[in-house]
Amino acid sequence: MSRVCLVCQNIDCKSRGSEQLTAELEKRIAAKGLTDVEVKPYMCFGACQEGPNIVLYPEKSWYAKVKVEDLDDITDHLAGGPHVQRLDTIDSSLKELIYQLLDTGVM
Amino acid sequence: MEGILFPHGVAEGREGLEQYRARGGYEALAKSIKAPGEEVIKAISEAGLRGRGGAGFPTGKKWQFTREAPGEPRYLVLNGGEDEPGSKKDRVLLENLPHLVLEGTILAAYSIGASKAYLYINALYDVAIKSINDALAEAKSAGYWGSNVLDSDFSLDIQVVPAPHNYVAGEDTAVLEVIEGKKPWPRQKPPFPVTVGLFGKPTAVNNVETLANVAPIVLKGADWYRKFGTGESPGTMIFSLNDDVNRPGVYELPFGTPLRYLIEECGGGIKGSKKIKAIMPAAPSSAFLPLDKIDTLLDHNSMRDAGSALGCGVVKLVSEDSCIVEELVKIADFFATESCGQCPACRMETNTLAMMIKKVQAGQGGQPILDQFGKILAFNKGKGFCNLIAMPGPPIESALKLFPADFEAHLSTGKCPAP
Repeated sequence: MSRVCLVCQNIDCKSRGSEQLTAELEKRIAAKGLTDVEVKPYMCFGACQEGPNIVLYPEKSWYAKVKVEDLDDITDHLAGGPHVQRLDTIDSSLKELIYQLLDTGVM
Repeated sequence: MEGILFPHGVAEGREGLEQYRARGGYEALAKSIKAPGEEVIKAISEAGLRGRGGAGFPTGKKWQFTREAPGEPRYLVLNGGEDEPGSKKDRVLLENLPHLVLEGTILAAYSIGASKAYLYINALYDVAIKSINDALAEAKSAGYWGSNVLDSDFSLDIQVVPAPHNYVAGEDTAVLEVIEGKKPWPRQKPPFPVTVGLFGKPTAVNNVETLANVAPIVLKGADWYRKFGTGESPGTMIFSLNDDVNRPGVYELPFGTPLRYLIEECGGGIKGSKKIKAIMPAAPSSAFLPLDKIDTLLDHNSMRDAGSALGCGVVKLVSEDSCIVEELVKIADFFATESCGQCPACRMETNTLAMMIKKVQAGQGGQPILDQFGKILAFNKGKGFCNLIAMPGPPIESALKLFPADFEAHLSTGKCPAP
């Protein structure tokens, strides 16, 4: 299965620039030649106050309050680099809820 | 069966002013206008009238709160948005008994001390809007509204407002937004409209059927009214039956009538001599009941004890050869479409649920996806400005509990078990 970067597009994340993040992330991933990674919009991860939210799946890494300047680190992670710890701030029970949902194929 | 709103069966054709007066029309107003407005509230409270828009809130209490809330002017809003799919009771009342509705509206406005009433009516209801406009003209020339109603000190202006026909536009605070010229988006509550309503002033928003009950109660008294129905749900309620029965229509029944009577005697049973698989007493947002609950009484407490709700009385039947998963796809899609989109949690919940049920329909996700429904609903519980976010839950959770075989059939074969 190919890997996906799910970018939340609900009201709060969108108001904080998630559409621009989606476009920028696509560019960076293409520039790195990561052909197995797809950037996809996602309805909502339920962490509106922490947005914009990006979830890498099936890695199950959740990055919150993402800014354009964080995207290089996220792209590095996708290319085999380290987990971006500073953006990993979401409560584990919410992560579990959303990861379980993604495991059922809802995306 | 004798009724309150339809004393001789569902009214056919429009009742004009003279016909209405010939059966005691506007006598309740003539009597009430000589006494303080509190007397109307007292009569309504003693009768135990509860709102017919779905929530069943005591009408007398709502009016008392509005009357006592600080701020002038006060407003009365008749809510005839009627956006629940399959509901047609308000339309029938507005079309055929416009003066009964209007007299109730004027009495309500008088009771809370409102100087302006808005009649918010579904814009698709051309006939109803014409009927009520004609009634307004007739009643104004007779002195029932306008300046110095029946030569009293009470003056009331009334204005018709066409209502957008999307689901949330019938939510009481969305109604206020539309009247104020804005989008039909519900407001955060509290504050409730009784204290901060239209233009920030105390406002009572009442369903059409609720207001239609007012004049008969005021004229004939609480004891007469309480002869109908049950102790906690006095009076009658109008139920809407649709194409899934042999005789679709609206039926006024005393609260406490068995559900079976409505379906079999009034509706002539489910169409096509099939067996009933499930009953939704308040479509599309109530829990499904299995067939063995068909003798549940049609009142708020009995329906709650049976695990469902009475809502605004749109009763939907699911036949034995229908699949509950397919029904849920329609319901979940409806709420995802009708969510106004201003509350992130509601968008998340309604869209996720719709996506999930479609996965099930397509045979994807296995048992784990079934376990996720409850978790998504629990996560969003209590969020959002209005009640729409709570509406997909009862149908989904009851379906999972009552009809697991339908879900299993989809998940194991990817096909619908229905023929």
